[in-house]
Amino acid sequence: MASSDITSKGSDDATPHGAKVGLLRVLGPAHIWALGVGIVLVGEYMGWNFSVGKGGAFAALIACWFAGILYTCVAMIDSEVTSTVAAAGGQYTQAKHIVGPLMAFNVGLYLVFAYTMLEAANAITAGYLISVVAGMMGHVGDLDQRPFIVLVIMFLAWLNYRGVLATLTFNLVITSIAFVAILVLFLSTSGVLGGGIMQHAALFEGHELPYGWIGVLAAMHFGLWYYLGIEGTTQAAEEVRSPARALPFGTLAGIMTLLIAATLTWYICSGILPWEFLGDGVDGAVAPLFSAAQLSGSMALVWFLGFGTLFATLASANGCINDASRAWFAMGRDKYLPFWFGAVHPKFRTPYRSIIFLVPIAMIFALGAPLDQVITFSILSGLLEYTFMPLNIIQFRRKWPLNSIKRGYEHPFHPLPAIVLLCLCGITFFAVFLGYGTQLVAMIGFYIVVSLWFHFWRYRFVNRGTQFTMPWPKPHGY
Amino acid sequence: MAHYEAPKQSKAGQLLDVVVLVVLTIGALFVPLWMGMAGAAKTVANPDANPTWESLGQNAVQAAQYEKLGYTPETAHDLILARFDYSFTTAALVVMIAVIVLYYFLMLRFSEVEYREVISEKFGDK
Amino acid sequence: MQTWNYLEYAAWGVSALLGLYMVIDWLKVDSTYSEEVLTSSREGELEAMTEQHKL
Repeated sequence: MASSDITSKGSDDATPHGAKVGLLRVLGPAHIWALGVGIVLVGEYMGWNFSVGKGGAFAALIACWFAGILYTCVAMIDSEVTSTVAAAGGQYTQAKHIVGPLMAFNVGLYLVFAYTMLEAANAITAGYLISVVAGMMGHVGDLDQRPFIVLVIMFLAWLNYRGVLATLTFNLVITSIAFVAILVLFLSTSGVLGGGIMQHAALFEGHELPYGWIGVLAAMHFGLWYYLGIEGTTQAAEEVRSPARALPFGTLAGIMTLLIAATLTWYICSGILPWEFLGDGVDGAVAPLFSAAQLSGSMALVWFLGFGTLFATLASANGCINDASRAWFAMGRDKYLPFWFGAVHPKFRTPYRSIIFLVPIAMIFALGAPLDQVITFSILSGLLEYTFMPLNIIQFRRKWPLNSIKRGYEHPFHPLPAIVLLCLCGITFFAVFLGYGTQLVAMIGFYIVVSLWFHFWRYRFVNRGTQFTMPWPKPHGY
Repeated sequence: MAHYEAPKQSKAGQLLDVVVLVVLTIGALFVPLWMGMAGAAKTVANPDANPTWESLGQNAVQAAQYEKLGYTPETAHDLILARFDYSFTTAALVVMIAVIVLYYFLMLRFSEVEYREVISEKFGDK
Repeated sequence: MQTWNYLEYAAWGVSALLGLYMVIDWLKVDSTYSEEVLTSSREGELEAMTEQHKL
């Protein structure tokens, strides 16, 4: 079969300064890394420790590594598909071309929800952190956290509104600082530099697996939190200078960074904090790395990790606004959602209407819902998305076998990663079911309702053939 | 297949669709909250009236860390003894599996129908 | 301590300003440009456009 180039499509008379406005191609691989890691790194600063609470410290480590395998599969599959389907909307656009419109609509909603909820969770955490800082600096009484939560969302929305390059350069800087903070904390507490304060053996004694092996399964639920959001790198596909190269590179470098950060985080925290305290993210360790720094006895570390935590939440919320608005914009452009959202700002080249629209939504959740509920909503949306990915890649390889179109990256060992990913998703569904079963069913109920709404009502406004925009040959079997 | 011309949606119609989506979304998050079904609460099964670090099952090192964090056996009591309840019924598990499988089945079916339409309009029925 | 109370007001104020900026700019853009120009972005087009003149 003849190899068809994905870039061979002829363009219209479109020029950047002509009558058409599109998103701007300005990003490099480092920005992709910053977008991926920036969204996720906050998971190391807060939230992952709920998995300690669900199964104990060892269970959390096992969950950390199994979730690491899950996400490595996600990153590999994602890199292949997205280096070929390079368009804003990421997995939404992939689903549209490979599985079908209804699946795409669902995937688009998973993306918007996972990111908007994560953004809300970040804003809540940032507000909490500022109130802690106020307490440390001698403020008496309760600080009103709401203005700071609102400020975080507003400031980052404004940054996103003004342009993608500044947004992601900002992310690159604060993400790097937050990552270095973890490294410094590890070096200064583990005994590599100076005296170590790690006491793993003594702290684990008598509490190796407090729930037995079912706790290990249950811990998978929050194990995802170590890495949740790395798949968001694909949203930048229309803004990166060389998608076929930069996207796989940034994504795979990102997952490697996170595997290191997650393991170090577990090592530091479980060696300093008793598991019952560590595992309670509401009354115990809200920000475990920060708590670990407090016990190190060094004021410099406390401040460094305090800023690390704040930067991580900001970087994450920032990336989330970026990704959620791209997904919403892409759906608007295809009329899956009202076409009005498919507008691009002529000067800043951002999907400005989508950015503005999602601001009040994020605020409703940040100000009105409890943190664990928001996190669970985000994790569930993510999980549904990861379950879609193996279905996606299997169909992709079947409909367009390896030599039929040009791929920027081909992931090895197909279909092994897809099968592993599917199994791990099954396990995680069970883990969520342990303790959060009603929510799981309620959430899927929601997706069934919106799916019916889409299929029987909304889809009539979508043009059929034109939504397939990739210059590919006809798929096999059609 | 014949070319499908999508109708143009009015401004009011667009607005209505957004409102429907937002209401559904907020409903999905807040309805479980209002019905009190959300979240797995940890409970203390066997409270300890006079807790000491030993009776809470903490060795010397663990107790020392708790003290550094500013806890006493009394204040740490709930934190240490609270546990999740992982018991579940087979029926509940079956319901969950059925719902998930049904969801994916439904979605893949409808998607396939719509996808065939897209492909045949884009590439023609050759 | 007074400082933090002022900071609370400052946070409200800055948020309002940023929000106002976005809304004003949004309305200005919507009235300056036609809807056709604003919604002229199409999936895949940009791809072809930039890949032509390689950097």
